[in-house]
Amino acid sequence: MARDHLMSQFLQATLYGLLQGGVFALVAVGFSLVWGVMNVVNLAHGAFVVAGAYLAFELHSWTGIDPFLSVPVVAVALFALGYLVQRYLVNLVINAPVFITLLLTFGLELVIVNGMIMLFTANYRSIPTGYATTSLALPGDVRLPLGRLIAALLAVGLTLALGYLMRHTRIGLAILATGMDRGAARLMGIKAAHVYALTFGLAVALAGIAGAAVGTIGTFSPADAGRFTLFSFVAAVLGGLGTMSGALYGGLLLGLAEAWGGQLLPGTLVNAVAFAVLVVVLAVRPQGLAGRSFYAARVEV
Amino acid sequence: MSFALEGISAGYGRVLVLHDVTVTVAPGEIVALVGPNGAGKSTLLRVASGMVRASRGSVRVDDRNLDRASIEQIARAGVAHVPEGRRLFPGLTVRDNLRLGGWQNRNRDLEPVLALFPRLADRLRQAAGSLSGGEQQMCAIARALMSQPRFLLIDELSLGLAPVLVDEIMARLVAIAATGTGILLVEQDAGAALELAARGYVLENGVVVLEGPAAQLAGDARVREAYLGI
Ligand SMILES: Nc1ncnc2c1ncn2[C@@H]1O[C@H](COP(=O)(O)OP(=O)(O)OP(=O)(O)O)[C@@H](O)[C@H]1O
Ligand SMILES: [Mg+2]
Repeated sequence: MARDHLMSQFLQATLYGLLQGGVFALVAVGFSLVWGVMNVVNLAHGAFVVAGAYLAFELHSWTGIDPFLSVPVVAVALFALGYLVQRYLVNLVINAPVFITLLLTFGLELVIVNGMIMLFTANYRSIPTGYATTSLALPGDVRLPLGRLIAALLAVGLTLALGYLMRHTRIGLAILATGMDRGAARLMGIKAAHVYALTFGLAVALAGIAGAAVGTIGTFSPADAGRFTLFSFVAAVLGGLGTMSGALYGGLLLGLAEAWGGQLLPGTLVNAVAFAVLVVVLAVRPQGLAGRSFYAARVEV
Repeated sequence: MSFALEGISAGYGRVLVLHDVTVTVAPGEIVALVGPNGAGKSTLLRVASGMVRASRGSVRVDDRNLDRASIEQIARAGVAHVPEGRRLFPGLTVRDNLRLGGWQNRNRDLEPVLALFPRLADRLRQAAGSLSGGEQQMCAIARALMSQPRFLLIDELSLGLAPVLVDEIMARLVAIAATGTGILLVEQDAGAALELAARGYVLENGVVVLEGPAAQLAGDARVREAYLGI
């Protein structure tokens, strides 16, 4: 009897972990892409996730639109924001030492987070949906919440789609090539400054969609920005930089670590578990789980 | 109607490597650029493709001035550079490398370059980084040709390749030039380059010390002694 209960608790935690991990993958994939392609560790990444959550929240409260249906609007708006930020801000210091881009994106995160606090206050909110409390009963006394299922499917679907698009579209190929050898890509007539801006725009759009997903399955506030950046960092490094499948493995592992750790440990220790996993993986397999496909390998012309 | 580097002075930082160098290539012409290590041959090609900016002089294609043009603009003006070290995209397949060559003009037709380099046809799905040295050189030239360039700049064609392979690739260059593409060939192997080319330049310490018809250069006493080991 007690054993059955433990078992179902374990299965429930595993299911939650996988669902949460799918969302983490989408949170992280843009961060990994930007790091891998242009060697920028974007400390403002989490702020863009939260911005996406607020945009979906506001769209919902103005028009009543379901947050998953407002995804295209969120994506377009954040893509434009990301494109402009890269083109007119980050590109200016792209050849400077990593320290400078860290400083710039750190400053950007402060501006966005404080801007959101001014606009929306620091209170926690959540985007209400009709099916938030609906869940499917699975065998073994395990429950599958519908909202989380939709969020995870969307997130994993988009992460896989990104991986496919990178290899099979014109723009994706240009992004990969520019990440591998910027000078050689420019010799092919590829406008590197534009490709960088597209890459950043794509990353921010995906972060925003992840934010919308996060906003429906839990609560969020501007203070979460740092946490999302941290998760992205851990998932990206776990999985291997610059690979879309890497972000997926890293996100899932992080989700599981968090869910299992949360069963055994008080909530505040969960982040520590994530880092413990990071340290172990890097000790055993420094190139990450999926290996490093490229890593802003050559940036001189 | 030609590709012209006129009065080029250029270098890295404060150090000047090239001094008032003038080199021209006409459509369909093969021009050899020879000279000792460190003479500035690669630097001149980098100036030509915008990778290094000249402090003096001008880069022109068909009287269009490209002094201020970016690397990508020069590429789009019809000048393709096969750089030192080839700079293939190692993790991508040969097919993707070739597609990237045709990225700017949306050329996805691999047939013409595969006809020139049939060995690549069997390697299309292989990562470019895993090709042999000779295949990599073919892939680099084929990639450059995908943009259907008016002028092709090749740095160190023969470096690290077996002589048979060099002959094979050089024969292809003749076919490429016959289609109207002008070729500027930088070569360590001055004998082979001057045999192939119609004209040549000898660059020493960043200065053109000799120029003229290739046959005449190959017969020049100084060239024979310094570069042909005769
Ligand atoms: N990236 C660079 N930064 C600084 N100096 C450089 C750079 N590349 C080349 N040089 C210097 O410029 C000079 C000319 O070099 P370059 O590579 O153009 O010569 P090269 O004629 O191509 O020689 P090789 O036959 O060895 O390839 C050399 O003194 C070299 O040290
Ligand atoms: Mg050289």
